[in-house]
Amino acid sequence: MRQVTVGFVRFGAVFGVSMLVPIVWAAAVALGVWWGGWAWIAPVFWACFGTLALSRPVCRMFRALVARWTGTVIPAGYRQAAPVAQMSTGYWWNGFSYSRTSERAREEQRWRTRWSDPATWRDVRFTAIAPVTVIVPLLGLTLALVQRPLGIIVAIASAPFAWRLAEPLAVRFLRPSPAMALADRVEELTAQRADTTVAQAAEIRRIERDLHDGAQARLVSLGLSLATAEKLMATNPDQAKALLREARVGAAASLSELRELVRGISPPVLNERGLVDAVRASALDSPLDTNVTADLRQKLDPPIESALYFGIAELMTNAVKHAHATRAQISIVQRNTDIVVEVEDNGRGGASVRAGGGLDGLRRRLAVFDGTLEITSPAGGPTRARMLVPCESS
Amino acid sequence: MRILVAEDLYLLRDGLVRLIEAYGHQVVATATTGPETLDALLKWRPDVSIVDVRMPPTQSDEGLRAALEARRRAPGLPVLILSQHVEQLYARELLADGAGGVGYFLKESVFDADQFIEALERVAGGGTAMDPAVIGKLLASGSSNRKLDRLTEREHDVLSLMAEGLSNQAIGQRLFLSDSAISKYTTSLFGKLDITDDDNNNRRVLAVLRYLNK
Repeated sequence: MRQVTVGFVRFGAVFGVSMLVPIVWAAAVALGVWWGGWAWIAPVFWACFGTLALSRPVCRMFRALVARWTGTVIPAGYRQAAPVAQMSTGYWWNGFSYSRTSERAREEQRWRTRWSDPATWRDVRFTAIAPVTVIVPLLGLTLALVQRPLGIIVAIASAPFAWRLAEPLAVRFLRPSPAMALADRVEELTAQRADTTVAQAAEIRRIERDLHDGAQARLVSLGLSLATAEKLMATNPDQAKALLREARVGAAASLSELRELVRGISPPVLNERGLVDAVRASALDSPLDTNVTADLRQKLDPPIESALYFGIAELMTNAVKHAHATRAQISIVQRNTDIVVEVEDNGRGGASVRAGGGLDGLRRRLAVFDGTLEITSPAGGPTRARMLVPCESS
Repeated sequence: MRILVAEDLYLLRDGLVRLIEAYGHQVVATATTGPETLDALLKWRPDVSIVDVRMPPTQSDEGLRAALEARRRAPGLPVLILSQHVEQLYARELLADGAGGVGYFLKESVFDADQFIEALERVAGGGTAMDPAVIGKLLASGSSNRKLDRLTEREHDVLSLMAEGLSNQAIGQRLFLSDSAISKYTTSLFGKLDITDDDNNNRRVLAVLRYLNK
């Protein structure tokens, strides 16, 4: 009984939302007929305008209803308006034209974005499709005009089931179209590409600076020591010997400097053994008591391997530095075509992804491979981080 | 000593051969790839071999794998691994068979030629020789950490040198202490760490490394 009541309530909701636009049109047509002559143009114009203005709220409500009843979340895919910027002339530029005030610029931009957004036209189309959900009860009512008892029975019997049509219909017609999904993807990739290029350039500059101030300078001083030693060999062998010893120490120092630099660019174990052993090796070096479990059936692409390795290294460093953990558990597994890496520590928790922070950087580096980062870190711990990167199985 | 040098870079290989010959030892063969190294190790059975970790054809850990494979087929075959970087992971793999006759060094350890040749001789004699960098990492990490805190600074120094593979006498020379002073330190540190002392130096070093590797 309760289910039937719920069915009727939901029928009411679906009916209200999906019949809003048809009712506007019915009213427009009725007005046009009543006024007669050329006067019908005015109500039709207002109905068109009303459809355009109502389509987005109607679709929003429809999506909300579907999400509430069935849990199916349908992405809207509306285009976001770009920020409005004030130019040096004092005028505002909104990506299309100049305006005297920011309000005007924003309003104009809103209409332009809306007009050119394919989602707007999809929504308009959907306002025409939505009444299908209540078509059987409506037909029942129409039938009732001719054959009263049968029509009313059909209408009342079918009404509680009407809302069930809402989900398949919304999934089929309210989703972003492939073209819209592609446009979003292009936008996302453009942003990522810009990100990667900037990061790469910064990295190369860092390496250049390290080499310039470190190894190169040391080699120059090494050459100087050797040249001086050569000169002093005959006249002052003791001093020459001391210089040679100095040169040897300098050579060892520049080697260890280069080793650190290389480890930061591409850890040798990673090249020699792959991800799992490289993580094992860094777990051995870590002050944390670390347990590594791994189940990887294939060799990963070097860029993914490197991103995951440095991701794990960063999470481990955080565990030591910020969470004051003493133990960590790392697991690397392959689930279908995804690589899932989990890092859990016994620290004090409270980690979050802040814009511009270390974890945000990690998330962006993973995003390049369509990877994701999830952090659960309640205050008091433990922190659990999960990186997921899809990989083509070879 | 009859020595095999497995190193793919010409400059380093040449330098090593010259250094070894300057100390009056003989280089019986050289190898430049992983498979070549394995063949040469098994064919020549040298007194000791110097093997680079990274070698062609894959430029991964070919050399290390060849050395491990050769020691699997000929247990205790003395091998000293030279590398641009040291990893506890590799040290563990080398020490896993417990047979001794193993060395693991950073390439710059050849800068101190006397000590390098000494380490080479120790490995040839079935002992172990570990780079201070490896031992430093072993001491700095791992679950044995808390017990190590109980050691005095001097005992810590003695433990590190022992783990590098040095005998009591050699440790005494490095720290400018008498043999008897060193044995006093070793007895007390073995007591603190619950390791059974052994008269045989090699077995004792392996026991220490096993303890640190736990």
